[in-house]
Amino acid sequence: MTSRDERPPTGETDGLVQRPLTRKKFVATAVGAALATTPLVQKTARAAGYRTAATARAAKGKVVIGAFVDGGLVPFKDKIIPLFEQDTGIKIEFLQDDYSTFFEKAFQDGLTKAGQFDVYIMDDPWIPQYASAPVLQNLSKLGIQADPDFMTPFLELGYWPPRKGPRLPQFRSATPQLYALPFVGDMQSLTYRKDAFGAAPKTWNSLVSTAKAKMHPPQSYGYVFRGVKGNPIAASWFPVFRSQGGKIFDNNWKVLWNNAAGKRATEFFVHTLKSLAPPGVVEYDSDQEGAAILGGKALSIVQYSGNAIKSDDPKQSKEVGKLAFGTVPRGPGGSIAQIGIFISGISVSAPNQSNAVAFQKWFVTKKAQIALARAGSLPVKRSAFLDPVASKHNRLQKTILAQLIAGAEARPRTPDWSKVEDILGTALNEALSAGTVGNNLDSAASQVTSYLKKNGYYK
Amino acid sequence: MAASAAAYSTRRSRVQGAGLERALPYLLLAPALLLILAVVVYPLIYGVQQSFLNFRFGHAVGNVGLDNYRQLWSDPAFTQALWVTLKFVTLAVALETIFGLGLALLVASEVPFAKGARLIFIVPMIVTPIVVGIVFRLIYASDVGLLTTLRTDIFGSGQVFILDKGWSAFLGLVALDVWEWTPLMFLILLAGIQSLPVEPFEAARVDGAGSWRVFLDHTLPMLSPILAVAIALRTIDAFTTFDQVFVLTKGGPGTSTQLISIYGYNTAFKFDEFGYGTAMLLTVALMVLAFAAITVRLIRRQATA
Repeated sequence: MTSRDERPPTGETDGLVQRPLTRKKFVATAVGAALATTPLVQKTARAAGYRTAATARAAKGKVVIGAFVDGGLVPFKDKIIPLFEQDTGIKIEFLQDDYSTFFEKAFQDGLTKAGQFDVYIMDDPWIPQYASAPVLQNLSKLGIQADPDFMTPFLELGYWPPRKGPRLPQFRSATPQLYALPFVGDMQSLTYRKDAFGAAPKTWNSLVSTAKAKMHPPQSYGYVFRGVKGNPIAASWFPVFRSQGGKIFDNNWKVLWNNAAGKRATEFFVHTLKSLAPPGVVEYDSDQEGAAILGGKALSIVQYSGNAIKSDDPKQSKEVGKLAFGTVPRGPGGSIAQIGIFISGISVSAPNQSNAVAFQKWFVTKKAQIALARAGSLPVKRSAFLDPVASKHNRLQKTILAQLIAGAEARPRTPDWSKVEDILGTALNEALSAGTVGNNLDSAASQVTSYLKKNGYYK
Repeated sequence: MAASAAAYSTRRSRVQGAGLERALPYLLLAPALLLILAVVVYPLIYGVQQSFLNFRFGHAVGNVGLDNYRQLWSDPAFTQALWVTLKFVTLAVALETIFGLGLALLVASEVPFAKGARLIFIVPMIVTPIVVGIVFRLIYASDVGLLTTLRTDIFGSGQVFILDKGWSAFLGLVALDVWEWTPLMFLILLAGIQSLPVEPFEAARVDGAGSWRVFLDHTLPMLSPILAVAIALRTIDAFTTFDQVFVLTKGGPGTSTQLISIYGYNTAFKFDEFGYGTAMLLTVALMVLAFAAITVRLIRRQATA
């Protein structure tokens, strides 16, 4: 047996070399190691310094734009980014995520001041939440002003609190400020098969009767829409519901979707339109509804421009030449489409703020807007909408203008829209699955009312 | 004389270094401890703090004490999500245990191709969960999905609808989880079976016991501590299922597949209610912790008995 004290000084036991460590040895070793690593640390620090300086120099020449993936941004990505880089010498770093991921990522980026993006390209209902936090900068303070050439319904969506309509109690007396500029003038319109309908159906009744007569399941169905819970079904339901005479809120945020008119309008959606749609529409999202209309499986749809602009592209559509556009069919409530524009704002933590301002200013110039329109997108300025070359190349533009005149509405301006839409979209999905409204709208109304009450909308 | 002087010197230097020697383990552990403090303890404390706050417009606007925790039990969406989660975990883990045990027994009995089968069985487990979600979406899609295509090929026509009804979407999600995680149960239980002593089994055979009797009287009782650990591990993991649901159903149709992880995530990051979302997820974490503690106690009691 070997005790600790009897161990040889160099103590080699069980293959492990053990040496008694003294304070002196430890300090000497530590100092030696520190001295040895000092030049290395200095070099690393210097290299890091060079890198920081280099990064800063590179940062001078770029602007980081974040957005969600959507067909409506393809013309911007393909044609406008190169044009901006050529005009200004500023490079664009364009980062995209799926819709909900970017919504959360951009909001967290602004809240935590992470500085990952300079410019956020958002969906317009995000503005109340983003501007009330705020994670967006007041554009007026950055020298960006709105001019009269902007399409008014689009421009209004960049203000917080809203200049029109109901406001949250906390913002009732606040002066509206411009936090974002319209980016792509997106909104819904009708796409239909000319060979089935001849001309655009003027009313929902005529759409239903023609669709019923012309559809041949399982090869073709009369109408298609998105049925997935949340935002997808809420977006498809909105134009039907509003045109059929339903209302979401009154001017005091009282829920109205479950009154008699609302239930009637929703019944038309979950029952009548479902009977014209492909079976399994409950699980349809934008990819399936897009494939249905472009693949010839559906005869009509109310959809956003991101998919509509693919109609004439033989690479993406099997129905080239057969699809035409029209305004949303009229019902007891009129012809009302949902406005869902892309809108851009500058992050509170933008690392390249001056470039971001330069980009925002450049993008709404007449030249850029006309280029955007000619690239097949929907501009946000009147002058670009009226450009004859763009109108000739982009036949959707005329329909969008007609729809703006007929009726178009944005979603309610509240930072709590995500929550409201989730509750409502879940109820609609359940109703669609059952094929009848049932008590789903009442249940959603009661949940939303108690949520709004809790958050001080009313007592 | 010289030798005793050297021994004295060595002893003196050891006495001087005694404090350092005592401190050395702590010094060596310090980096790891600091790391754990930074990435585990601090976020946990921060999370608990946040759960007492009310958030509005992205910022904390007041301390609400335990209100967020109280509110949970009057929130129908939370109780519904909890119920769906419990159903999902129970059904999925039960099926995974049965299939995992069956496969483990099959492979352990050295049937032909057992070695190859062992490799094939663990493939689902190594696929990224989000990819599994996408693949199953392509399998279940009623328009162009694999099941619809197969049915059309075999019967000439007809679509297969999995995701358009609540009950079928729920079962579809369970099937996905069973496909992905049965291999984990299989691996743990196979290791357990292979570590069992052979003598009791040989004795039972000599006494004329059949396979079923041997399984009930020997394999299952001896395997039960390992089985309990496997079930506990898998249950804890199943409570955190997120990616697959997010991709496959987003919690729908209705709320039929809305697990607590999805609802908690939406509450915190989509609806901007960080305090309430944190309270929700901490409550569920405590439930899972209680489950784990009970399981460990049961295992210990069984081991002692």
